Amino acid sequence: MKKDNKLKLNLQAILTDLLIWIYISGCISFLLNRWFEVVIPSVHIVIYGSVISIIVIMCGISIGRKLFLPTKRTNNKWFKTFWGWSIVLILLITFIVGWIMVEVNPYKFFTKFKNAGGIISGIFDPNLDLLLVSLAALAETIYLALLATIFAIPFAFFLSFFAARNLMPKTLTGNTIYIIIRSFATVFRSIEAIVWAIIFSVWVGIGPFAGMLALMIHSIAALTKLYSEQIESIDPGPVEAIKATGANSLQIWVFGVVPQIISPFLAFTIYRWDINVRMATIVGFVGGGGIGLLLLQQQQLLRWHNVGMIIWLIAIVVWIMDMVSAKVREKLQEM
Amino acid sequence: MKDIIEIKNLNKNYVGGTHALKDINLNIKEGEFCILLGLSGSGKTTLLRCLNRLIEPTSGEIHFDGEDIIVAEGQKLRLIRRKIGMIFQQFNLIKNLSSLTNVLTGKLGYLSLLYSLALSKNKTDVKIALGNLQRVGLKDFAENKIKNLSGGEQQRVAIARALMQNPKVILADEPVASLDPATADSVMRYLGELNKKDKITIICSLHFLSLARKYGTRVVGLKDGEIVFDGTPKEIDKKRFKEIYGEDAEAVEIR
Repeated sequence: MKKDNKLKLNLQAILTDLLIWIYISGCISFLLNRWFEVVIPSVHIVIYGSVISIIVIMCGISIGRKLFLPTKRTNNKWFKTFWGWSIVLILLITFIVGWIMVEVNPYKFFTKFKNAGGIISGIFDPNLDLLLVSLAALAETIYLALLATIFAIPFAFFLSFFAARNLMPKTLTGNTIYIIIRSFATVFRSIEAIVWAIIFSVWVGIGPFAGMLALMIHSIAALTKLYSEQIESIDPGPVEAIKATGANSLQIWVFGVVPQIISPFLAFTIYRWDINVRMATIVGFVGGGGIGLLLLQQQQLLRWHNVGMIIWLIAIVVWIMDMVSAKVREKLQEM
Repeated sequence: MKDIIEIKNLNKNYVGGTHALKDINLNIKEGEFCILLGLSGSGKTTLLRCLNRLIEPTSGEIHFDGEDIIVAEGQKLRLIRRKIGMIFQQFNLIKNLSSLTNVLTGKLGYLSLLYSLALSKNKTDVKIALGNLQRVGLKDFAENKIKNLSGGEQQRVAIARALMQNPKVILADEPVASLDPATADSVMRYLGELNKKDKITIICSLHFLSLARKYGTRVVGLKDGEIVFDGTPKEIDKKRFKEIYGEDAEAVEIR
């Protein structure tokens, strides 16, 4: 083993143990605080954790050592070793801290059922007078989801070719473009549509347009990723064959690449529309218009029978969209 | 007969150090049906792909019909490529398009982008394509999608596509390796017919000695990137066969 490599492994082992024991001492002080209202300063937590971890490392019984450094092969079962019990301690303490932090309370769950009586009775007795208003809001949601998808298609289609490993030349420029587009797609996709909706509802004002913009940004990122992965998984054989006929680069794209991706692209797009309708409801809650906004208003007015009506409509539309898009995608696969 | 392909000191080193072709010197005469024999990894595929520059050779010269392939770029390279048809082990057709459209793509080297977008609208080309499908016995399959065809039918569509190029040479990279013996023979029969009737030079890599004897006019044996045999199919006896395929090899006969 090389010397610097050994140093690196040692450092990794020590760091792991430090983190583990500082975490454990942090958890313990959290519990002490909750149960006995003892306040332990954070510097102390770090010091206790570090001291314990150093002792454990010195004794050669730590988890870090087990993970990163070669140890003597012993046939000890895990429950006869110190690191085995350390792991048990970590899991146990994490669970207890989690339980307290989340305020888990089974008693409430079973005894306070009647608090939800209003909304439950609303679902079983929806206010049909609200049907027309809800349908209008629902149409708004469906159309905004549709437009968000349609506007996203050209952007995603264009970008996906540059985000496909097999089409980008293996040069510095090619790699840079590939990495930039891929990272943008990943970052924009990991920001939830709801966050975009908050931004755009400030930007263009509360309403369906803000919702559409939010879903569009999210769809561009998601479709770029899906499209480019589809391009990466095409069969290179036909591309090679078209090249061998003397076709130029554009002809190779049009006849070798595009026919292979067109129906999966359509399938992804329809699936995306389906997702967008579902997301549009949530986006409406934060100012994206449509049925989500109506639901929020009725909920805040505590009109449970109206809420029930809206919930029914959302459920039915999502169910229909889901079925239709599944059927269409099935047909596309046969093409 | 004049040489249609002249290969001089051809070398190919892959990134990673594999020396796939070592100083290959080979002249192919017009009208030959040249069979390349050799183990997998002996360099057959590399050699065939160097001939139309699907793989870039490391060094050496290749002349096709008097023109230097190695230095050709852009338009010039494409003009050379369109005179060299190619068929592949995995057929390499576009599976969700019809046979006819696939055959028509053989014409792409002759068309500008704009014209190629209206590929299936050109009556003359469609007529030629249908004629080529008829030649390989698939006239009634013109509208069928490739993925609904059997392996043998797909390879015949691939032959029709190569014919569309009006090629002087057809390169065949193990064209029958994924087919059953009977279908393999029928595909080879079509290639043999193109060789005899249309005088198309064929260079074909194979694994079956019996097919090499039946259709080949010349056999070139490759081993570790070098030519270890060059002669007529008749000259390959047990001893020669072992020179190409190694001591432990036994010929597998297919009829």
